[in-house]
Amino acid sequence: MEPTRLEFDINDVLEKLLNKGLVLNADLIISVAGIPLLGVNLRAAIAGMETMLEYGIMEAWDKSTREWYTKEFAERMTTPLVMGEEVIIRTFGSIWSNQGIINTWKPGFLYLTNNRLFLWRKEPPEMLFEVSLDKIEGLMAKKENHFKKEREELYLQSDCGEIVRIHVSNVTELKQAIRMVVGKKLENRIMVPSERTPPSPWLPHSCAVEIGGSKGR
Amino acid sequence: MSEAELVRETEVTQGRYVYCIASCQDELSLGNIGIGHAEVYMVSHKDIAAVVHACQAQPYASMNENEVKEWILSHNTVIDEVSERFGTVLPFSFDAVVKGDDDVVKDWLSKGYEKLKQELERLRDKAEYTMQIFCDQNKLMDKIIGENQGLRELKEKIEKMPKRAAYLFQRKFELQVKDAYNVMRGRLTEEFVSKIKEHVEEVKVEKKVSQLPKNYKDKKLIAAFSCLVHKEKVKGLGDALGKINSQEGYAVRFTGPWAPFSFVKLEGV
Repeated sequence: MEPTRLEFDINDVLEKLLNKGLVLNADLIISVAGIPLLGVNLRAAIAGMETMLEYGIMEAWDKSTREWYTKEFAERMTTPLVMGEEVIIRTFGSIWSNQGIINTWKPGFLYLTNNRLFLWRKEPPEMLFEVSLDKIEGLMAKKENHFKKEREELYLQSDCGEIVRIHVSNVTELKQAIRMVVGKKLENRIMVPSERTPPSPWLPHSCAVEIGGSKGR
Repeated sequence: MSEAELVRETEVTQGRYVYCIASCQDELSLGNIGIGHAEVYMVSHKDIAAVVHACQAQPYASMNENEVKEWILSHNTVIDEVSERFGTVLPFSFDAVVKGDDDVVKDWLSKGYEKLKQELERLRDKAEYTMQIFCDQNKLMDKIIGENQGLRELKEKIEKMPKRAAYLFQRKFELQVKDAYNVMRGRLTEEFVSKIKEHVEEVKVEKKVSQLPKNYKDKKLIAAFSCLVHKEKVKGLGDALGKINSQEGYAVRFTGPWAPFSFVKLEGV
């Protein structure tokens, strides 16, 4: 029988070129040649490079590939920080959302920076809550029932009266940190509206305009 | 100044993508047959040459599977083209990028010359061929059960049993068949190797085989080999495989010639 070579039998070609042949980054070749060589097995692109990158298999790779990775993925992986913004606390947290008929805790990462407090959800990316530090007027820790267990939650009041309810694992730490960064006296008693009260002036969207507006302190 | 020379001059292009090493003393251009239509040319030292294109000093990377596949096919096309013109090459795996310009490549060739030259000589007039041997599933099963008395008896016993009891024994039977299959596969592999041995310089038993073409899907893969074959022995190998192929229930897939991807080595040469 005669051997065949079908041009488009891609699997055979992939097998040879990705798994076999000489490689430059093999130690022996570098030591034999003694010159700067680099090379990367791109098998990963086919085996789901993104997964490999996420699991840090990247570590052992070339610096240049890491640079490529940083460039390619940085925007998607990091948080929406602005220039000069410094993260003071980053912790897993959630915020109570009671817009309309949906009452639920929305989880994400809570960031306290030198000028903002915000809750960021990575996937799908969404800013769940954001407040400028100078708009915070009141701060209060309060014990609440959560699935029949008591836990501490943080209530925060903005200058337009909006009240948000936040949960993080260490409420005390967050509270202290916010107090320190804000650097002004905060009201430590907040009138929390009962859940049954029909929501009206405290709805986040109803005061969104005011937060961004000209109403300063 | 040609386009390639211009690219070579540019500041950002301080890498050389290496396709293969060939026996050639001239610094020829092979035209825009490279990855992304790059101009492929040869950088030589004495009578050996690296087949390269000028690129940035970073590996090719893409999240697009089709793009990567296209690159890989281009790489293979270059290797085929060079092999056809200059004989057996030392093929590089995909995405080997030398950091530096033509001088760095030249320097590398001169330092590794003895070893590269020796390897080119060793592989001269030889190419890689791969073969996969398949067997019809039912035929294979009959053969396994036919040869194994224990399995035969168990099967007869199961057939006489009431349904419920048979179920457990059926599982046991299947496990034993699996074991027997592995034993037989090992034996058949040895048998095939002995049949093709005289026609090949070297043989490698492949443990893993990536996806197989559709027309073999209903068959069981029994053995896969890569062989280094002298060009004058290809016909003999083909005949030996033809004999296996014509046995009832068997099918052989025979591909080549390939550049010696599985056999090229530089350590300790």
